Amino acid sequence: MLEELEVIKTDALTAIGPVSDESGLEEVRIGFLGKKGRLTAASAGMRDVPKELKKDVGQKLNEVRTAITTALDEKGAALTAARDAAAFASIDATLPSRPLPTGGLHPLSLVLDEAVSVLRRMGFALAEGPEIETEWHCFDALNTPEDHPARNESDTFYFENGKLLRTHTSSVQIRTMQKEVPPVRIIAPGSAFRRDEIDATHLSAFNQLEGLYVDKNVTLADLKGTLEYFFREIFGSKTEVRFRPHFFPFTEPSFEVDLKLHATGKAAKWIEIAGCGIVDPAVFSEVTTKRGDAAYDPSEVSGFAFGMGIDRLAMIMYGIPDLRLLIENDVRFLGQFS
Amino acid sequence: MNVSLKWLSDHIDFSDYSMQELDDLLTFTGIEVEGIQSLPDHLVVAEVLSSDPHPDADKLSVCQVDDGSGSPRQIVCGAKNYKVGDKVPLALPGCVLDAGDGKTFEIKEGKLRGVPSLGMMCAAAEIGLTDDADGLMILSPDLKPGTPLSEIYPAVFELEITPNRPDCLSHLGVARELAALSGKKLTGAAHHADSKTPTRVAKADEITLSTDSCPYYTARIVRGVKVGESPAWLKEKLESIGLRPINNIVDITNYVLMEMGQPLHAFDMAKLEGGINVRQAAEGEKFVALDGETYPLTAEDMVIADGKKAVAIGGVMGGEDSGVTETTTDVLLESAWFVSSDIRRTARRLNLHSDSSYRFERGADAYQVNGASDLAIKMILDLAGGTAEDEMIVAGEKPDAPAPVELDNEYVRSVIGAEISDETISGILSSLGLSGSGGKWTIPSYRLDLPRPVDLVEEVARVYGLDKVPSNQQSWFSPKSKADESYDFARKIQTTLSGLGFFETRNLKLISEAQLSDDRATTHRGMSPIRLKNPLNDEQDYLRPGLVPGLLASAERNQRFGNADLRLFELGRVFTATPKGGEVEHEHLALLMTGGRTTRSWADGKPSNLDIHDLRAALEAICPPGLNLVPVDDERLLCGCSIEIGRGKKSAKLGLAGIVPPARARELDLGAPVMVAEINLKKLIAAFSDELKYAELPKFPGSSRDMAMLVPADLAAGSVAEFFAAYEEKLLQSVELFDVFQDSSGEKLPADKKSLAYSVTYRAADRTLEANEVETAHAKLLNSLKSRLNVEFR
Repeated sequence: MLEELEVIKTDALTAIGPVSDESGLEEVRIGFLGKKGRLTAASAGMRDVPKELKKDVGQKLNEVRTAITTALDEKGAALTAARDAAAFASIDATLPSRPLPTGGLHPLSLVLDEAVSVLRRMGFALAEGPEIETEWHCFDALNTPEDHPARNESDTFYFENGKLLRTHTSSVQIRTMQKEVPPVRIIAPGSAFRRDEIDATHLSAFNQLEGLYVDKNVTLADLKGTLEYFFREIFGSKTEVRFRPHFFPFTEPSFEVDLKLHATGKAAKWIEIAGCGIVDPAVFSEVTTKRGDAAYDPSEVSGFAFGMGIDRLAMIMYGIPDLRLLIENDVRFLGQFS
Repeated sequence: MNVSLKWLSDHIDFSDYSMQELDDLLTFTGIEVEGIQSLPDHLVVAEVLSSDPHPDADKLSVCQVDDGSGSPRQIVCGAKNYKVGDKVPLALPGCVLDAGDGKTFEIKEGKLRGVPSLGMMCAAAEIGLTDDADGLMILSPDLKPGTPLSEIYPAVFELEITPNRPDCLSHLGVARELAALSGKKLTGAAHHADSKTPTRVAKADEITLSTDSCPYYTARIVRGVKVGESPAWLKEKLESIGLRPINNIVDITNYVLMEMGQPLHAFDMAKLEGGINVRQAAEGEKFVALDGETYPLTAEDMVIADGKKAVAIGGVMGGEDSGVTETTTDVLLESAWFVSSDIRRTARRLNLHSDSSYRFERGADAYQVNGASDLAIKMILDLAGGTAEDEMIVAGEKPDAPAPVELDNEYVRSVIGAEISDETISGILSSLGLSGSGGKWTIPSYRLDLPRPVDLVEEVARVYGLDKVPSNQQSWFSPKSKADESYDFARKIQTTLSGLGFFETRNLKLISEAQLSDDRATTHRGMSPIRLKNPLNDEQDYLRPGLVPGLLASAERNQRFGNADLRLFELGRVFTATPKGGEVEHEHLALLMTGGRTTRSWADGKPSNLDIHDLRAALEAICPPGLNLVPVDDERLLCGCSIEIGRGKKSAKLGLAGIVPPARARELDLGAPVMVAEINLKKLIAAFSDELKYAELPKFPGSSRDMAMLVPADLAAGSVAEFFAAYEEKLLQSVELFDVFQDSSGEKLPADKKSLAYSVTYRAADRTLEANEVETAHAKLLNSLKSRLNVEFR
């Protein structure tokens, strides 16, 4: 019996050796370990083994089964590994990618989002207003003289009913003050319109970002700190910022903000980037009259306002030379920002 | 305004400043330096030594000129207005001149009709000095040949004066402002404004003021003048800032205007019939101004008239027939003050803008009217001789001088946010010509922009400089606004769509009437597009009622650029008018897809075209669960569908989706199907439920059954989906459509049928289903399908 078992083991291992595929291996397994397999048959002979030999034969039986099983498993693993290797052998990982569609945000959205993120960290909430505005919201309430050139039909788009397309997002200042009481801390991104022929530096519609802060004791020092921080977050902590006296009807004092920036390979120069100032008390007076309460009493509250062109910001940040690229939507252009 | 540095030096000495320092000083005064004009190099004074006819061209002459080098230079010239001995500007080879439109050209040695020409003699317009292009510019005979022209006409600053500072619209005004900022003293003729000439009130037949537009008018008469050319110094001064010299009298009035900012007008006495009458024009009155144009006037315009006719449009422009010419001997010099808004109205309506109207409409200083007249009269007597009447004839009254302003220094500090001392504040205001004590400041008559305390704060802030103000940084807490919410929502959509391969576009909000018909996917009923009253052109005369017109235009443009495979979207505002005429603005989102599903590559050599199902996938990615496309009848779209969340009457209708009719797509050169969808963003936000909630994951296995059914070819899959949505069976977990088959040849299926194959999954939350439970439920489902939708199972 013991010899017979040894022969079965040798035969099994010899049979497993040259097997080259999984079905051949399965045949071998059935031949030895299957219901009618040689080892199965041999183990059935256990009952005829004399009692005193049962232990030895039993041990031998286990040893042989383990040896065959191990050899089958090892061979099985080797065959699988070989099959896997064969399956992936033809793959060329250096082929170009299987294309996925590429998309991306418009550069103006990217710039705007960066600006909005910084200003939100500084505690400004968003606000909005209509683009079809009344002359009161766009001009009167913003202390613009009745015969100011901006009101001309040559400069501003009007509708038959006397309304107009807002010429700046500053009208959102008024809309907000009509609805909210101080403290008001808002930014309002949006479109504005001027009756300009389209060329490299003019669009009839452009995008602005307006800011307004009204509270008690708001000063020029607050305005300066706010805008310096904002522009340094956007353009880098060492960016030089200067405030140049200017004139706007709705702020007094008024300033234009310049940044010292350099285009690649060129000397740094001052670039005009925003307008700002302390809200003119006349604006608060208009709002007060309209509201009919004292929430914006010019002797009680003060504020600052600022506005900048997002298109201009994008031109500067990305080195875009022609505004028309921003409205052509050529995907080769848009793809540069994705 | 052009300001000559040389002219400025009459009033203030900036020889110790570099150009850059002066530029900075002006900039921080609030005067923007838009440009600095200087004449080019290699442009010199030349004397014409001889001029002979060109052998081969009647219109050309061959000149020898002295360019200061010692040997004559030959120049071929086409002008005729010079004579031998004249001094003219000569551009030597290497000189770069402005050719207009931002272009330049360089002078080179060359030949004209075979004759060598070693440079070019120039007209004033050619070297960019004035607009005089008629013949060569004849320079002062005293100039030395070879002198660079930039020495005679040194640099000129182009300044942008903000509309609140008309007092800076003169050399004296700019000098005064610079003196305040630099601490320098004004030198020389600082006190032109004071007049020593006695005045007498005009008699009725001398001057009548019969309009409110002219509160104050003065006239001074000089007899026996000799009108002629101005001396070189005066001509050079005017030329340097771009004014063309006319004759000594006119040049003097222009000089005083540019020196003091007070417009003057000189009339030829011989051409005036009777006294001066300042009156409103008659409606329809016609006036020929000295620019040769005829202007139709209205009763809103003011004219200066004599006994018979208008001789000037008051404050704007004199008449063609009453001006000073070579034959004039007696002159009436007008110096007056007009109401700014009235001048502005007339200048704007007539589109007639002169140096005079520019200053009057912004606000001139009434208190220098007499002084300006004095200065002009003095110059006339010096340069043109004659005898002035002793007295100035005046009519009307000057307007009140600016009222004093009370200023609390605490207020100044509280607006600026800096500890500026009382002394500094007083020092700044005094340097600007204000005088005061006890917080009450007297405002100079030329400062019309300082009626309120806050205006004085601006002066202090401006001169003190924001660079010295501390930077106060603080942040606040702000509650989230509605606008914040929609901004954040839009950001999510933008990010999702760009991840799906869409490019965000931004199209013009103004579109043409023709483009209105491309508004294919909006659902506003009874609303109409809004037209501008004063469009710039007919390409942009309507506000867009939807986003698809812009997307289609972008798709067409991309097609032209060679980009055929497109996934585009836009988020933006659209505009419509209600039947009652009110305007409504909505934020919309629109998608456009056309071309190949993917780029051609080794992986897919012939990508299939995008179709309406790709559009649906994109919509599902941005919409809440429960998206349905419900077919609608809309001739603007093929396969037009209403985009709905949920079913039936309670569904949220977000917008429309469909295929642009191929006929229109072909017009736009778009060959592949073009899918579009447009959604109202507010409705989309509202369709999302407020909160996300966890639902327990299934613990027990489900059981699936596949079924294939034959249905009429025109039965929409959506109808079957609707059946399943309404079908009540607790165990039914999900239904997936996994095959659609149709055979138009009729071989495998009848041609009027199609096969839809679904996999149906049954599951119970609390147990593993028994096989017979599943069989029963499935049999019930099949029966119901048969009876309700008339299907056959394959």
